[in-house]
Amino acid sequence: MNEKEFATVTAYVHDARKPLNRISMQAELLKMAMQGEIPADKALDALDKIIASTKDCSDQLTNMVDTLSSSITE
Amino acid sequence: MLTVLLVDDDPEFTDVACTIIEFLGHEVLTAGNLQEAREWLEKEQFDHILLDFMLPDGSGVHLFEELDQLAKRPRVTLITGHPSVRGIIKGLCGPNIDYLVKPIQREEIEAVLEGRKASKSTGGSNIKKHFGHLIGESAQMKELYKLIERVSRTSANVMLLGESGVGKEVVAESIHEASEVEGPYVATNCGAFSKELIGSELFGHEKGAFTGAVGRKSGVFEQAEGGTLFLDEITEMPIDMQPNLLRVLENKVVIRVGGTKTIPIACRVVSATNRTMEEIAESKVLREDIYFRLAVFPITIPPLRERKEDIPLLATYFIDELNKENDTRFEWDESQLDMLTAYDWPGNVRELRHFVHRAAIMSDPDKTELDLPKTIESPFAKKQSTTPALQAGRTIEDVEKELIYATLEKVNGNKTLAAEMLGISTKTLYNRLHAYGDLTKEE
Repeated sequence: MNEKEFATVTAYVHDARKPLNRISMQAELLKMAMQGEIPADKALDALDKIIASTKDCSDQLTNMVDTLSSSITE
Repeated sequence: MLTVLLVDDDPEFTDVACTIIEFLGHEVLTAGNLQEAREWLEKEQFDHILLDFMLPDGSGVHLFEELDQLAKRPRVTLITGHPSVRGIIKGLCGPNIDYLVKPIQREEIEAVLEGRKASKSTGGSNIKKHFGHLIGESAQMKELYKLIERVSRTSANVMLLGESGVGKEVVAESIHEASEVEGPYVATNCGAFSKELIGSELFGHEKGAFTGAVGRKSGVFEQAEGGTLFLDEITEMPIDMQPNLLRVLENKVVIRVGGTKTIPIACRVVSATNRTMEEIAESKVLREDIYFRLAVFPITIPPLRERKEDIPLLATYFIDELNKENDTRFEWDESQLDMLTAYDWPGNVRELRHFVHRAAIMSDPDKTELDLPKTIESPFAKKQSTTPALQAGRTIEDVEKELIYATLEKVNGNKTLAAEMLGISTKTLYNRLHAYGDLTKEE
């Protein structure tokens, strides 16, 4: 891996942490809902957001692979 | 209650973080960029700022100058999405700035707001504690877990045998834990009491039973009602007190010193000694009848040198605990763990724990590296080199010489006995010693 490719991966990994952070925080919210610390209906909303974030994260990874593969073919 | 400013450009994150921070009992305001944060700082006074490192209009670090000019500088925790940035942040901001690396967990937010440094390994150490106490995945330990599991389903008395420092008390606590009994776990050391006092410690006393008995006292057997009584160093118990103990074990009742009433007792007795079964039998430190009452289920705990694969696990657990206690971030290097594994630890787990503690004290708390001495020394063992005794590259002659001297030392220089142990003739032993230049021709 050359320097440019490494920088690309680093940037994508950095961006992928954003949906991961959302998942982590929504999971904390879910725990709180299950322990009765916040209203239970928040749990369902948190789960929807977790699912959405996993998709975001997956898209980031796909984009990264696409960018890297196009740089190889260049 | 703290007033917190959360500066981050991800509204979903700030939304959830606000719920958590408010739940923790603090007031929180949010800003999506540096400009909004500056506006809040003009209007409000904050105790703590959670600040994203990368914001749309610049780095969170740009806010530092303004914070320095405030009458009351809030504590700052930088949030970063890149772990490698934390090193730069530390260098930039000094040790008084905390940082959080995304993905963040609730307990990390809790820790920074409470002024504790967020633990690097979230959710605590990943090392499994069997029965809530025991660490180790070696075959010997797995066998021990099996024994604990089995005996915990019964009410049999257990005798724990093992060298000093192997963790007999920890095993006793594990048996108590696994038994899921309702009563408490009570521990006492039979070697710590004089002949006069041990009766009172074990069985209790009535008021006025002896000089100084100003009130009634219940003994450990009564205290452990429905639970587990751990009698450490059972073989150090005065021999003339042992018939009293035998009576209690046989009849399951105690009579307090100076009393007449019999009190029924129901607890499992876990006793421990660092003597081997053979030593107990030979030295007559424990009456035979007591031994059979106490050792219905004897368990021998292996010394650390016989389960070396657990040394890295234990060393990591100990350093994790010290890190939590002292807000440090020490980490073991692979070669250091190899060095610890190569050593025999005659003082067992206790010695290892002390060694790790000493290393943590001697190392720079701002670094992650641990400074270890070149050799590990124990006052209870001969100085041992931390390089393994059997290492590729040594000659057979060299190893043979070491073995001969070690055997001679073991048998106090008795050459006939040493030769027998080594499986060579006395003449061969003499020849070897001559060759090493250790004997005069007359010998």
